[in-house]
Amino acid sequence: MNFRKVAVLLLGCSLLLALGTAASAQLKLEVKEHVLDNGLKILMIPKPGVPRVVCHIYYKVGSINERPGITGIAHVHEHMMFKGTRIMGVTDFEADDAINKQIDELMEKIYREKYWKRDGDQQKIAEWQKQVDELIKAEKKYIIKDHLWETYMKNGGTGLNASTSDEVTGYYVTLPSNKVELQMLLESDRMMNAYFREFYSEKDVVMEERRLSENRPGFLFNEQVRATFYVGAPYHWQVIGWMDDLRRITKQDLIEFNNKYYVPNNAVAIYVGDFKPEEIIQLAEKYFGRVPKGKDVEPIRTSVPPQNSHKRMYGEGPGMPSLQMWFHIPEDGHPDVPALSLLSSILSGETGRLTKVLVKEKDVAIRAMAMARPQWYTGAFTFNVIPKLQKGIQPEDLEKDVWEEIDKIKKEAVTAEELQKAKNRAEASFIRSLESPMFLAMRVGRAELNRGWRSLLTDLEDLKKVTAEDIKNVATKYFVKDNCLVAVYSRGQGRR
Amino acid sequence: MKKIKAVFLICLLLFSGFSLVLAQVSRPEELKFPPLKFEPPNPADYRVVLSNGLRAYVREERELPIINIVAIIHTGGLYVPKEKAGLDSLLSDCLIKGGTKTRSGPEIEERIDFLGGSLNFSVGERTASLSLSVLSKDLDEGLDIFFDVLMNPEFREDSLKLAKGRIIEQMRTANDNPSQILAREFEKVLYGEHPLTYQATKATVEGISQSDLKAFHSQYFFPKNIIIAAAGDFSRGQLRTKINRYASKWSNKSLSFPNISRNFPQPEPGVYFIQKKINQGYVSVGHLGIEDTNPDYFAVQVMNFILGGGSFTSRITSKVRSDEGLAYNTGSRFTYRWGFPGTFSGYVQTKSETVGYAISLILKEFERIRKEPVSEAEMETAINYYLESFADFFQSPIGTMVNFANLELQGKPMNYYATYRDKIRAVTKEKVMEVANKYIQPDKMVIMIVGDWEPCNKGSEKFPGPLDRLGKVHRVKLLDPLTGQLVE
Repeated sequence: MNFRKVAVLLLGCSLLLALGTAASAQLKLEVKEHVLDNGLKILMIPKPGVPRVVCHIYYKVGSINERPGITGIAHVHEHMMFKGTRIMGVTDFEADDAINKQIDELMEKIYREKYWKRDGDQQKIAEWQKQVDELIKAEKKYIIKDHLWETYMKNGGTGLNASTSDEVTGYYVTLPSNKVELQMLLESDRMMNAYFREFYSEKDVVMEERRLSENRPGFLFNEQVRATFYVGAPYHWQVIGWMDDLRRITKQDLIEFNNKYYVPNNAVAIYVGDFKPEEIIQLAEKYFGRVPKGKDVEPIRTSVPPQNSHKRMYGEGPGMPSLQMWFHIPEDGHPDVPALSLLSSILSGETGRLTKVLVKEKDVAIRAMAMARPQWYTGAFTFNVIPKLQKGIQPEDLEKDVWEEIDKIKKEAVTAEELQKAKNRAEASFIRSLESPMFLAMRVGRAELNRGWRSLLTDLEDLKKVTAEDIKNVATKYFVKDNCLVAVYSRGQGRR
Repeated sequence: MKKIKAVFLICLLLFSGFSLVLAQVSRPEELKFPPLKFEPPNPADYRVVLSNGLRAYVREERELPIINIVAIIHTGGLYVPKEKAGLDSLLSDCLIKGGTKTRSGPEIEERIDFLGGSLNFSVGERTASLSLSVLSKDLDEGLDIFFDVLMNPEFREDSLKLAKGRIIEQMRTANDNPSQILAREFEKVLYGEHPLTYQATKATVEGISQSDLKAFHSQYFFPKNIIIAAAGDFSRGQLRTKINRYASKWSNKSLSFPNISRNFPQPEPGVYFIQKKINQGYVSVGHLGIEDTNPDYFAVQVMNFILGGGSFTSRITSKVRSDEGLAYNTGSRFTYRWGFPGTFSGYVQTKSETVGYAISLILKEFERIRKEPVSEAEMETAINYYLESFADFFQSPIGTMVNFANLELQGKPMNYYATYRDKIRAVTKEKVMEVANKYIQPDKMVIMIVGDWEPCNKGSEKFPGPLDRLGKVHRVKLLDPLTGQLVE
């Protein structure tokens, strides 16, 4: 039931898996494609058997398409896509629309008074708010609550959800195989007829969602770490956005965002399960085909300037203490990425170097891992180590141990066995990821929006070619102090 | 004749194709769907009994070169005595890492990793499971390690030391995360002092030895107390032969489980408040629930779907989240545990000042579903959801085998899935009201809040405090598992 945000961490994981190869097991990933005149791409992976079809639609939009002042809007928009359209969720569109316009006018006055002025007139605000409350009451009789959600559910929809990540927003449902048409109807409807009812109370819901995150130990510090690491790129803020921006985002902001990004030429629909591709294509032509093509969407303009300095930050709060070390690496698809991904695999896991040395041999940490996160426009390689406080070890003490491991890679390279193990793991993970129709839809759909789904396969080939020398080279190139942020988190009360 | 049949089939295909795409409509109500027939798989078709009475549910699945195999063992935290609390966590950590008679833990992990496989062990309340996944070319080696770990674990000292260090380090954060605190303390109030709620402390964990783990293992790990679930790229017959090689050398013991009390305290209704300086209150409102073997189970499922379990189509979510914007996460749930009543609760996390208001709305919905019949539309949505999503249970081949194994292990009727849809269809509006009255008891409500007392108690315009308007306020103190002492 929850709108989840796909954390950066998770995304990093799946990208790492994406580098696995299936070639040696003679596996092919077969995806049928069809492109509509309006630019919407339809991808299909038939899997006969249980009569269910995973139906996902992905838009090439996420928090990186935001700017300061409207951070969090991609995720707010995702919530609002469940609040009805010109067809769904309303009994009398004209009557409802008339009330909504009045609400929006009053709310604009309130926002101006509240946020444009230093000392807004509180009395006026209260008066307008009262009128808004009355209008909201009057609007109720025209609203069919959560109409889309209910329609999916009573037709046996499961895996019903949506998520917003830095780069992609996805809408998910799994239906009985005789009811795919329902998804086509509802998704094409909300692609072209979105109408944002109950916007202001839904923003309250999102702010509660942000508070939930804030109460998760470590969240506030990690938010700062990320903001400190990414300068000059919209990865600076989290998907949930800053609280103050959430308060101030307007209906007009939302409409502009919708018009720009929620167009068929900026999306891909994917179906995995028990169906005939010809039927999917016919239905897609019929339903999605009626959505007008939008303007071309320019890729975001961004870069991460060289850091040219060694960054350090300290914080305290509840939860596990930790040492984090972040290094800038290139974006997904860059020739250095396969070596970096294999390196993170060699360092991580129960048999990885970090656990072997820091946890088992030296007994100074209880957990130690590394992760390569090549994102669409830039990337990060992160180390995360949790100290063994029982032995009097503090997070910062572990920094020298991590550098020692880094230096070993730079000087002695990795062994042939380690390299082969990392390749085997990636390959098997890839095969395993083909098992779950839902996971498969997610990977293929997302990959399509960046470098095309075939990149899942070509990345495999690139990964197989990586040598120990390549790994040594990337370690030498990226693991240097003026490309590094060290973040030290200790247990304590923090500010609150 | 054959030809006619073929033509007929083509017509049928075309026709069904057409009916799918005949006309574009603009409203979902206008859609007509072709019929869909689905019969669930029958557990008996997959069941095999191997040497020494080792039971298994086995399914060939040849599409991908992967093998999944899970051993489900009837054992768990419930059977750990209080003074050894935490033994289940150590068992989880050390069954693999502690090595076997002939292999060290690191050797096992290294080999599984090299093969790109995975081998995991986890211990739950009354069942534990060891899961292996390997490429089919590695089946023999995988099975060899799998059964070695299952049959001959050594729990070597170095693995114990590492695991204890990790568990104790995690204890530091036991009272940091509000949702963890709420889940744990709510059960403590409902079940009282009972094996279901024993908590490990530094002292109990440090007191657990290698011989404790070996004794616990030998008490529960033998063929008759285990069911295997397997699905993947193998031949059923061959797998059977391979597993028998291990099972035939694995002797049984007599089963003995500790006697566990089924008496639970009757907690005093009212507010149970746990102080934490955060910007929301985390709330559970409820009491003990039922077992899933209760004949009313299906009616309770439908009732709770309408009340607060059916996400946005349910009343609590619609009111508290959608109408009022009070919370991201809100609803109601029945939890289930094998052999004991689960819990019933309404839940919400909302900013401190609206905690009282949100609770009052949830309580109102509890009352409403008891007093007024639910609507036809609500019934239709709930029942259709269960009927139409039924095939989802069987999406994953290994998941299906595990479900069958669990039914048998827990002594549940093996026709559970075969009769599922009929039982859902049989639920009526009257039955929904009956079970709402039977299993939601307003005079027994434990209202637990983890939050900041002052703003929560003060409330807001729509529900001004104090919180004792909701019942007598009990202030709950937490235990620091590191010291075994109460903390503020």
